[in-house]
Amino acid sequence: MLGKVYSLIPRGLKPRLLRRGWLWPLGHSALKEYLALAWVGSILIVFILAISGSEVLFAEPATPDVLKIGSISQDEKKQADSWTHIFDSVHGFIEAVYGPKFSGDKLTQKNDYNLLEQRLQLKVAYRPQKPAWLASWNPEFFYKGDLLSDKYKETLRYQIREANGLVSPLSWMDVKLGRQILTWGTGDYLFINDVFPKDYESFFIGRDDEYLKAPSDAGKFSIYNHLVSMDVVVIPFFTSDVSINGDRLSFYDNFLGRIAGKESNRIFTEPAVQFENTEIATRLYRNFGEYETAIYAFKGFFNQPVGIKNESTKEVFYPKLAVFGASIRGPAPSVGGIVSSEVGYSDSLQDRSGKNRLIENSAMKYLLGYERDFQKDLRAGIQYFLEQMLNFDEFKANSQSGDISRDEFRQLLTFRITKSFWLQTLEASLFTFYSPTDSDACIRPRLAWQANDRWRFIVGANIFFGKHDWTQFGQLEGNDNFYIRIRYGF
Amino acid sequence: MKKMLSVPVILFLLFVSGSLIKNTYAQDTQSGKTAMNEMLLAYYYPQTDAKSEISMRIVNRQGQVRERRLTMLRLNETPGGGQFYYIYFHEPADVKGMSFLVLKHLGRDDDRWLYLPAIDLVKRIATSNRRTSFAGSDFTYEDVSGRALDEDEHVLTGDENLGAYSCLVVKSTPKRPGEIEFSYMKFWIDKTTHLSLKVEHYDLKGKLYKVYETQEIQTIQGTPTITKAVMKDLENERYTEITMKNVSYGAGITSDIFQERLLRRPPRQWIGE
Repeated sequence: MLGKVYSLIPRGLKPRLLRRGWLWPLGHSALKEYLALAWVGSILIVFILAISGSEVLFAEPATPDVLKIGSISQDEKKQADSWTHIFDSVHGFIEAVYGPKFSGDKLTQKNDYNLLEQRLQLKVAYRPQKPAWLASWNPEFFYKGDLLSDKYKETLRYQIREANGLVSPLSWMDVKLGRQILTWGTGDYLFINDVFPKDYESFFIGRDDEYLKAPSDAGKFSIYNHLVSMDVVVIPFFTSDVSINGDRLSFYDNFLGRIAGKESNRIFTEPAVQFENTEIATRLYRNFGEYETAIYAFKGFFNQPVGIKNESTKEVFYPKLAVFGASIRGPAPSVGGIVSSEVGYSDSLQDRSGKNRLIENSAMKYLLGYERDFQKDLRAGIQYFLEQMLNFDEFKANSQSGDISRDEFRQLLTFRITKSFWLQTLEASLFTFYSPTDSDACIRPRLAWQANDRWRFIVGANIFFGKHDWTQFGQLEGNDNFYIRIRYGF
Repeated sequence: MKKMLSVPVILFLLFVSGSLIKNTYAQDTQSGKTAMNEMLLAYYYPQTDAKSEISMRIVNRQGQVRERRLTMLRLNETPGGGQFYYIYFHEPADVKGMSFLVLKHLGRDDDRWLYLPAIDLVKRIATSNRRTSFAGSDFTYEDVSGRALDEDEHVLTGDENLGAYSCLVVKSTPKRPGEIEFSYMKFWIDKTTHLSLKVEHYDLKGKLYKVYETQEIQTIQGTPTITKAVMKDLENERYTEITMKNVSYGAGITSDIFQERLLRRPPRQWIGE
C-alpha cells in the first residue's frame, strides 16, 4: 500500500531519503539559513574537537586515578568511569569537499560543480556489561551517523549510516540487527553476488569509497562451523541503489532517447513493504587450505530500476530477481599474488523467457581477478568481467525501434595500480574501467596524503569516455569531474 | 736457549690458535644457524600463544610524530613453524576497528586478510613482498613476524659485549640476493636470553642504512620478552619506537578463532575496547 503511494512522488522528493535520515531543505533564498546551519555545524565541530582534545585527560590510566579519588564514593567513581568510557569511544571525522566539473553538458541542477559539502561523521560503540544474560551474549551496539551540509542539494541532512546491535546467543552464532553495511564477494568495484545496495552517484562524483556502499536495514544471522559457515541476511525493507537520475549526473534516459539531466522525469516504484517482499541473501563458505570458497543465493529485487511499468507515464520499477553464484579466492600458484573468480546466474523472475522487452533479461556473469604486490609499496590488479544476456534471441525478436541496442556479451576490464611513498603516507592510485564491447571507459586517478594522524588531503578525478550515449560509462561523458577533500579524523 | 725458543713457540702458538679461532668462526655456518634459530624461537615463538598491546611512535626527519596503537594475538602451530597472527588497530582514529589476520607459513607466501569495517569488506592481501612497511612504520612485515631461517646463510663471526650483555654476532646473507633490498644483516644475539639486542642492515652497496636496537627486556611469566625497541632508518633520518605492554602468555588463544569471524567480530576478551 505504502509503496503505491510513494510511487507517485517524483524521485527528487522520494521519502526514501526521509527514511534514511532527516532532510531539511534550505530553499532558494537560503543564504542566511545556510549560514545559520553552518554555525550550528561549527559549534558541533568545536564541541567534538574539545572532546577529542581532552581525550587524553579522560583516558588517564586507572591506577593513579584510584589513588587520587580515594575519598569519592564508589557510585560516583563508577559514573565518572562510564562517562570516560563514552567520551573515549566517540570517533569520526569532519571533512570538506569541493568537486568542480570540467566543462560538461550543463544538463544537471548545478553546472559548475558536483560536490560542495561539509560532513561530520560520528561513531560510537557501546558494550553493556549488564544485565548478566545480555552480557553473556557479548553484546555490541554500534552507531554511525553523518551530518551533511550539502550545497549542491541545498540541504542539511542527517543520515544514519549504521545503527545496529550484535550479539552471540550461542558460541557459534552471531546475530546483527539494524542498519548495517553488507559486503561479500571477491570483486574490486565489481559485484555479482554482492546484491546489497550501492550508491553509484557518490562513487562517480568523488565521495569517499565508503559511500559506494549504502546501508541496509537488515538482520544478519551467522553460523560458524569448521566444516562450513553460513550467513543469512534478511532485508524486510527494500533499499535500491542510489542510481544516477539526472540531478547531479546526466545519463541516458531511454524514455527521452537521449542524454538527460534534471529534466528527466522518470517515476520510480519501489516494492511495497510487505512480508512477501522480504529479501533474503545467503552465503555458505569455507576454506580449503589457503583457498576461500563460497556459494551464494539471493531472492529479492534488482537494485536498479531495470523494469518499465508504464512507458507513457515513464514509470520504472525494480523487478523480482534471484541470484545463484559461487566464488573462489587464493594464492596464484608459482607466480605469487592473489587470484579470484566469481560466477553468478541472475534469474529475472518476472521475465524468465526474455520475451518481455520492458524487463531486464536473465544473465550469466563471470569475473576473474588477479592482484599482486611488487617491491617498494607497488600493487597492481586486473579483472576481467563477462556478462552474457540469456534468451538473447527473444530480446532481439521483441526489441522495438528506440530500444537501446545491446550485445549478447558485454566485456569489462579493470586495472588498478597503487603506489605508496613516504612510509605509506602518500598514496597514488589509478583505477580504470574499460569495456571493449561497449567501447567506453572510466578513469579514476587519486592522490591521498596523510599529513599526520589526523589530517588527510585527497585529490582525484572521474573521467569518462564512450563511443555511444547509452553505455554504462559512455552516458556519463558529460560529467567529468575532479575533487579535493580535506579530512580531519578524531 | 730455552727462553729464546719459547718466545717464537708461544708466538707461533698464539698465531695458530688465533687463526684457528678466526677460521672456526668464519666457516661456522652451523653454529651461526643454531644461534639464529635460537633467536627466532626466543623472539617470535616464545610459549604457544601470546597477547600484547603494541604502541608505535613513528618520528620523521622533521620530528613530526605519528602514532599507532594495536593489539596483537599470536599462536604457534609448531615451535619454529607456521603461526597465526591477529592484529587489531585501536589508533589512530581513521584506522580504528581495522584488523589483520595473518597465517604465516614456512616455504610459501603468508595468507593475509585485511578487514575494513566502514564497508564491511574482508580483503585478501597479496603478500609476495614481506619487506613492505608494517602500518607505515620503519618496521617491515618481516620484522614483525620473522624471516624464515632458511632464507639466509648465517655465519657466526664472533662474540662481543654489548653493555652488560655478552652477545654472539651473526652475519646473515640472503641466499637469493636479487630479491631483497639488503645485502646482509648483522645480529647481536644475547647469549643468555637468545634475544637479538641489535640488528644492522646493510644495503646492496654494503652501507649501513637501518639499525634495530632493543631498549628494554622484561621477564614475563618466566619468559624474557623485549618490551621496548627502536628501528632507525639512517638514510631517511627517521625512526620508529615500539613498546609492548600488557604482554601475557598462555592466554588460551586457540586455532579455531583465526577465521573470518575474528575480523568482523573482534575478540573483546583480549583486545578490550
